[in-house]
Amino acid sequence: MEKNILVVDDSESIRELVGDILTKAGFNVFKGYDGRNGLEVLTSTEENMSMIITDLFMPGMDGIDLIKEIRKLERYQYIPILMLTTESHMAKKMEAKKAGVTGWMVKPFEEEKLLKTVHKIIR
Amino acid sequence: MSNLRDVYLEEAEELFKRIEEALLLLENSPEDSSSLIADVFRSMHTLKGNSGMFGLTKVADFLHNLETLYEKVRSDHSLLSEDIIECTFKSLDHVKKIIYDPEIEEQENIDENQALTDEILKILKRTEEVSIDLHSIEALSGMVSYLVFFQPKHDVFEDGTNPILLLDELAELGKSKVFSHMESKALSDSFDPKVCYTSWNIVLVTEKGLDAIRDVFIFVEDSAMIEINELFDGDILADQEFHERLPEVDLPSAPLSFDDFRSLIEIDRPSASGDTEIEVIPETTDSSTEEKTEKTESTPEPATKKAPVETKKTSTSTSSSEEPSVYKNKVKKLFDKNKTASSIRVSSDKLNELMNNVSELVTTQAALALFTKNNFDPTLDAISDNVEKLTRQLRDISFGMTLVQVDNLFSRFQRVIRDLSSQLGKSVRFVTEGGDTELDKTIIENLADPLMHIIRNSLDHGIETAEERVKNGKPETGTIKLMSYYSGAKVYIRVEDDGGGMDPEKIRKKALEKKLISKDDNLSEKETFDLIFAPGFSTAANVTDVSGRGVGMDVVRKNILDLRGDIQVESELGVGTSITLGLPLTLSVIDGLLIKVKGTHFIIPLAEISKCFELDRKEISNEFNSVIVLDDEQLPYLDLRKEFNLGMEDNPEVTSVIVVHKLGTKIGVCVDSIEGEYQAVLKPVGKYYRDQEFISGATILGDGSLALVLDAYKIVERKMSKQKVTA
Amino acid sequence: MSVISEKEAELDQVMHSFLSFTLDGEFFAVDVKKVIEILEVPAITKIPLAPKYLSGIINLRGKVLPLVDTKVKFGLEPVEFTVDTCVIVMEIKIEDETIQIGTLVDSVLEVMEVADNAIQPSPSVDAKYKLEFIRGMYRKDDDFILLLNLDEVFSIEEMNFLQDQNIEQTDAQDIKEQTK
Repeated sequence: MEKNILVVDDSESIRELVGDILTKAGFNVFKGYDGRNGLEVLTSTEENMSMIITDLFMPGMDGIDLIKEIRKLERYQYIPILMLTTESHMAKKMEAKKAGVTGWMVKPFEEEKLLKTVHKIIR
Repeated sequence: MSNLRDVYLEEAEELFKRIEEALLLLENSPEDSSSLIADVFRSMHTLKGNSGMFGLTKVADFLHNLETLYEKVRSDHSLLSEDIIECTFKSLDHVKKIIYDPEIEEQENIDENQALTDEILKILKRTEEVSIDLHSIEALSGMVSYLVFFQPKHDVFEDGTNPILLLDELAELGKSKVFSHMESKALSDSFDPKVCYTSWNIVLVTEKGLDAIRDVFIFVEDSAMIEINELFDGDILADQEFHERLPEVDLPSAPLSFDDFRSLIEIDRPSASGDTEIEVIPETTDSSTEEKTEKTESTPEPATKKAPVETKKTSTSTSSSEEPSVYKNKVKKLFDKNKTASSIRVSSDKLNELMNNVSELVTTQAALALFTKNNFDPTLDAISDNVEKLTRQLRDISFGMTLVQVDNLFSRFQRVIRDLSSQLGKSVRFVTEGGDTELDKTIIENLADPLMHIIRNSLDHGIETAEERVKNGKPETGTIKLMSYYSGAKVYIRVEDDGGGMDPEKIRKKALEKKLISKDDNLSEKETFDLIFAPGFSTAANVTDVSGRGVGMDVVRKNILDLRGDIQVESELGVGTSITLGLPLTLSVIDGLLIKVKGTHFIIPLAEISKCFELDRKEISNEFNSVIVLDDEQLPYLDLRKEFNLGMEDNPEVTSVIVVHKLGTKIGVCVDSIEGEYQAVLKPVGKYYRDQEFISGATILGDGSLALVLDAYKIVERKMSKQKVTA
Repeated sequence: MSVISEKEAELDQVMHSFLSFTLDGEFFAVDVKKVIEILEVPAITKIPLAPKYLSGIINLRGKVLPLVDTKVKFGLEPVEFTVDTCVIVMEIKIEDETIQIGTLVDSVLEVMEVADNAIQPSPSVDAKYKLEFIRGMYRKDDDFILLLNLDEVFSIEEMNFLQDQNIEQTDAQDIKEQTK
């Protein structure tokens, strides 16, 4: 069965790129253009996500707030969430961690590395 | 992939625009700076990230410094200065170029890149006091060997953590050697597959520094015991003797302690970092027992290094000090949310496809309505009514989707005006109004050039120099106002300047010179101003760097007319000039009056009709000067049969007269009959008929036949010009 | 003087499909690649004051196409509508844009296969047609079929040339009527 991954990024190019990579790898990709939209996508579909990949800086609801919201959902209390961002500062990571992020990946990344990480997380 | 690259480029354009808009606002109203700076920062950040992702590493590198600068500005708004904004503009222009030359191979770009990077770094240096890039220090520190002890809690698997993933990540930092050991319970009967019994010792040699290692474990801090200690300043794994001393690894075994490893290293080996470091180690390891233990790394810059490497206590205190800013963020987010609320991007192809289908639907619905009318059946009638209602709604919704706020267009000019005015040495304030007015996106796209030309003209010829203005008792700074508003079925866009205005005498003289008019032509002021739109009027004489681009106002007017719009100019010498463009809301559907002339259907846009009435043809046919009297008003008229050479035979005795108005001129149009109102989906008649300008398109009627959509203005104009010839 | 370009001449045995039709009893053919479809004469909406060779516009399943009277275009009398009169919808390239137009012909004949080397340069005896219009000539049995160079025939510049003449005419007529 195809696994569902939600990709949340306000940058269309990144969203499409990540989406492309994952789709090619056989995942079923859902997309959200910011935190709020990502949450909407998550709650409006019957489909169960296996993983969420989100950007950190986004207008409106950012990645950290998104994670906090997701963790409030019973269904997704423990879903792996990968933060995909150019940010590598400790403070932000701490914040994200407190919110409940599972992993952190710094942009730019290579396709291979992303896939490796994703496979590891939702093997 | 090339498709994705287009997305990247498209998005980059958007980000450029966003940054520019924010910068321009910042320039004008520095009081509301914090959200704007945040916006600039975020856009820059996204741009950098995207560039990096799409392999434009040099672009990303260039943007990195700029981003760093704005990060600083974000935390201290007072740092923002004019030269930073100026530099940002230049940098943006540069980036716009190098995203098409990502390897930065063109000499011009190389030079520019260097110059701008230097400039940014200079500004950065100025704004910088103590903060030195942490990364550069770490880079200096060279290879260091660490001993990492990692013991996940038993329940670590429960939240989805995979310890092996972390070890992999650690291994990516440099050279490593891993020793694992397992609790004896793992081999006993009480073995539970959900429990993690393993812990690891990793000797890691890296130059990435302590922070990088801590980063790896950041997400498991709470669910694992982690100890990171500096083992040796240098690459211990390169030392053969160390390898030999390493114990055989057996499972299960007791975990080796830091001291065990230390003892494996010869004591007399000199440590480059000095003694202090060694002394620190036991101190920190001893002080905290249960919790993760970390050692403060000694570096040349203790002041900066200490903060991030503090133990747990401090990290909580920093996070609590962050509370207020988090709160503030939330407040801001509320505003943002409203702004960005539910909007999605749809490719214009899809939108066009939708519009085409809706147009077809409108046509098909008309056919259904006609059929229903001719084959009456109450059920069918009800269905047809419903379809009509739904079609109309669907039409309105989908045409609404192609509407774009003119703001998108207006903001483009801010930058231009800013640059041009400084180039011309004029001081100009640019004001926009009604940016939320919506127009069809095709119209907006086609308005950019004409508007640009008009604005350039205003800047170049309209607004006077500061000295001149002061001399004439005007404020030193000139104003160019760009506004937009609805009126009737039209959208008006108006460019107003408070410059010198146009001199009708000069225009007359010039038109005479160009032989556009003759000496005895007695032109009204309005007609005189309209001469600026005549082909051949604007010529080399007034070509300057700014407005002389080889196109004259005649081209501007043509562009506007092509959009089924009109253009009007008003001017008062010494006070200013305004040029007003009237545009249809959408290009593709018009509400019109269906008329018939000699078997052919025509449609006249309702917006251009003031009234209709019937007249006995005998009353007018012998009229010598082509004027009819209506409500005591003399009205010039034209007979479409005559106008179109359709022949006068079988002419109905009673003709319908439609009064159309355009540009303040009213004219009666005689037609055979009026059939009723009709929603026309406009279709182009093609290039072959480009000389039949009075036909703006065709539309398909319910029975599949075609009706021609008339452009009343063109007909009036044609009539007028012909009268002149015959006069 | 060869009308066929050298490149084309090299490709000896290449076959081309042509659709043949008649105008005033003479045979013409166009490359089938350019032909979209053949229609019976539909309802034609005339556009006022248009040049004579433009018969009007037609509705082809929701698309509005200009209709050209091919005969007027070639200097013949306008098409007289008979049961055989047809509209060939073709795709032509004008000003770097591909558009569809309808063309009126007296009758449509057949699709034929013509080998490249069977196409002869048009002899200048047929001077009544502009040479640029003719791609070459093909002899079928006793008949000569003129192969048309469509993009040339229907180019806007060519059209405008004709149009200017027509406009002057109508205008003069107009003025006469007005001053009457």
